[in-house]
Amino acid sequence: MAEIRQIAIYGKGGIGKSTTTQNLTAGLCEHGKKVMVVGCDPKADSTRLLLGGLAQKTVLDTIRDEGEDIELDRIMREGFGGTRCVESGGPEPGVGCAGRGIITSINMLENLGAYTDDLDYVFYDVLGDVVCGGFAMPIREGKAKEIYIVASGEMMALYAANNIAKGIKRYAKTGGVRLGGIICNSRNVDRELDLLRAFSKELGTQLLYFVPRDNIVQHAEINKKTVIEYKPDSNQAQEYRNLAEAVINNTKFDIPTPMTQERLEEILFEFGLMDTADDYKI
Amino acid sequence: MSANLDSSNVATRENRIGSITGYIGSLSDLASQSECGTLKGCSRCFSQSSTCLSTCALGQLSAIRDIAIIHHGPAGCSVASANSYYLDKVMAKKRGVTNDTVYVGTDMNENDTIFGSTEKLYDIILEVNRRYSPKAIFVTSSCATGIIGEDIDSVVDDAKAEIDVPVVAVHCEGFKSRIWATGFDISDHAVLSGIVKPPKEKRNTINFKNFYESARPEIMEMFKQFDLEPIFLYCNSTVEELSHISESLATTCICGTLGNYLGNVLEEKYGVPYVRSINQCGITGFETWLREIGKVTGRSDKIEKYLEEQRAIYMPQIEEVKKELKGLRAVIGMGPGYTFEVSRVLNELGIEVVWALAWHYDKKYENGDVPPSMKYLLDNDIDFEASVADQQNFEVMNILHKYQPDLYLSRHPGSTVWAIKNGTPAVYVADEYMIFGYKHTLEFAHTILDTIRNRSFEQNLAKRVKLPYTDWWYDQNVGTFLEEAKK
Repeated sequence: MAEIRQIAIYGKGGIGKSTTTQNLTAGLCEHGKKVMVVGCDPKADSTRLLLGGLAQKTVLDTIRDEGEDIELDRIMREGFGGTRCVESGGPEPGVGCAGRGIITSINMLENLGAYTDDLDYVFYDVLGDVVCGGFAMPIREGKAKEIYIVASGEMMALYAANNIAKGIKRYAKTGGVRLGGIICNSRNVDRELDLLRAFSKELGTQLLYFVPRDNIVQHAEINKKTVIEYKPDSNQAQEYRNLAEAVINNTKFDIPTPMTQERLEEILFEFGLMDTADDYKI
Repeated sequence: MSANLDSSNVATRENRIGSITGYIGSLSDLASQSECGTLKGCSRCFSQSSTCLSTCALGQLSAIRDIAIIHHGPAGCSVASANSYYLDKVMAKKRGVTNDTVYVGTDMNENDTIFGSTEKLYDIILEVNRRYSPKAIFVTSSCATGIIGEDIDSVVDDAKAEIDVPVVAVHCEGFKSRIWATGFDISDHAVLSGIVKPPKEKRNTINFKNFYESARPEIMEMFKQFDLEPIFLYCNSTVEELSHISESLATTCICGTLGNYLGNVLEEKYGVPYVRSINQCGITGFETWLREIGKVTGRSDKIEKYLEEQRAIYMPQIEEVKKELKGLRAVIGMGPGYTFEVSRVLNELGIEVVWALAWHYDKKYENGDVPPSMKYLLDNDIDFEASVADQQNFEVMNILHKYQPDLYLSRHPGSTVWAIKNGTPAVYVADEYMIFGYKHTLEFAHTILDTIRNRSFEQNLAKRVKLPYTDWWYDQNVGTFLEEAKK
């Protein structure tokens, strides 16, 4: 039995991590892969498209209400294409410690035997801002060894990606975690592809896939579905299938080389802002 | 200094009065750098030990009679409760009173840290009040609640509406200061902000901040002659007593480290003079302190008469024993309050201090002045090697090994044992009143004499004990693990 590929998806808040992860998961399912998605965001909206709505009781809520003596099926539901969906959950905004919650819920999943041998992939969809050690949990202690950062050609998305790369580099030394590449969730920024390629190269990684922008993604989201389920014949559905294939076939895993703030800004000027300041469009 | 009693938080010693935990040099350099503001503390790249400030804060508060401490944190954070509980009961028994103080831990579990546990805390406060009817409730934080930002202040505010006795939030997360004495300030701040009421009348009382009031009967007897009554704080204090300390004629303390926040804030907020003299240890210390009490309370004549009588009794005896102590060499390791006070007394007895280690050092006190004990040594041209050692035993042992003094003096449990294993006779200055006034100075001198007269125990023990330190370490400079001073 091949080892489970455990993958963590990071990226700036609002960049489209959950959307990309779930569509990618749907693509993998079509390839016959067995996938588990673990939402690591207190908002608990990482599996909405796979489950057809926010119907999931989170791990932490379940532990709080029912104690730790629970069965796995209390916290795991099956979604599109047989995907296993788990939401870590967390406290109300402004109280407690969401980071500690992630640590607890991932440990609980392990204790309950959620990582079965028939799984091909486990995805951790992590809160956008890795504000404390808890949100680095998926890449510590030998859990996810593979990271993809979702980014776009927008400045703050690249700032965030560079910062996340610093965290990966830290844990690469001890935990064996590697960066599998950047996934661009396009915002139709001018020269976005060139910028992302240059950024990825500087970061010592690859641009794994460029997902173009298409309003069908929003339509599918309103209908609580992945694009692959909502419009299987659309171009965007094919894009996500291609992304899934890129992930399946990916063999390039690197320790990133995060850049200084100055170097990042140079790249941004070179590809992003300087020449296109007058006709910047979204 | 300007204390803000409307806030439940008090700044750390490092931030408030520039306290440090690492320094090596001379006493004169330490003092002159303190005076001109250039003193910078060093950190250590290797540290052997430390103490949690919450132990100090809660140890002080739990000694108050018939109150409740609610320590909001995981069970392990309340580890000091057993010791406090024991000590408080013993101290009450010793004085012949009862102390029904309870020390309750909230036993936070993992879920509580994730979701917060303010509702549980609120219920616990009400239940503790219902079950034990304490005279005041101190609700204290821990590192865990500090990290998750548990809103203890709001819970306390809500509980105040339901409970008739004072409910006070105490922020004593252990990680916020390297200096355990910050815990003393935190307990003072809690008492000042939650218990002490503005004065209504003046009383003939003196607030006496100390640890365990062991000399209570004799000090009461002495003060009676001056028509004064000491209020010993906080061991065996009642909430009622504490609520009136703003009405006292003055505040004094046995140890500047322990008393300086309380004394300064009472002076600043309520005009209660704080006696800032050197402390009562030794002859000069006792006389200076008592004269200062006389000055602020208008009782100088009575006090001069008392001193004259006492001098006649004790000075000839002290002079006699001094002859036998002359020329002894001592190393001393204590908290900063006592280090420099006891150094002064040793000097007074003719004993040479070759090295003094203070566990931390307060650059200045709340009023902006260099600690009086330090100023006295400087003014009297007393100088010796000094370090700020944060209770690092390996540094103590390095110094003892190099200097081979006749005597080591320390004030913290367990610390003198190491010196004895090194073959160095040691005096454990455990009781805070061990050198108080003429009588105890004489006894202290005799204790030293007894300690150094027969050294066979230390010598024999040293022969049979293998200490864990290597020859390499003994050859090193004591400051090997001190890092360069930061700004």
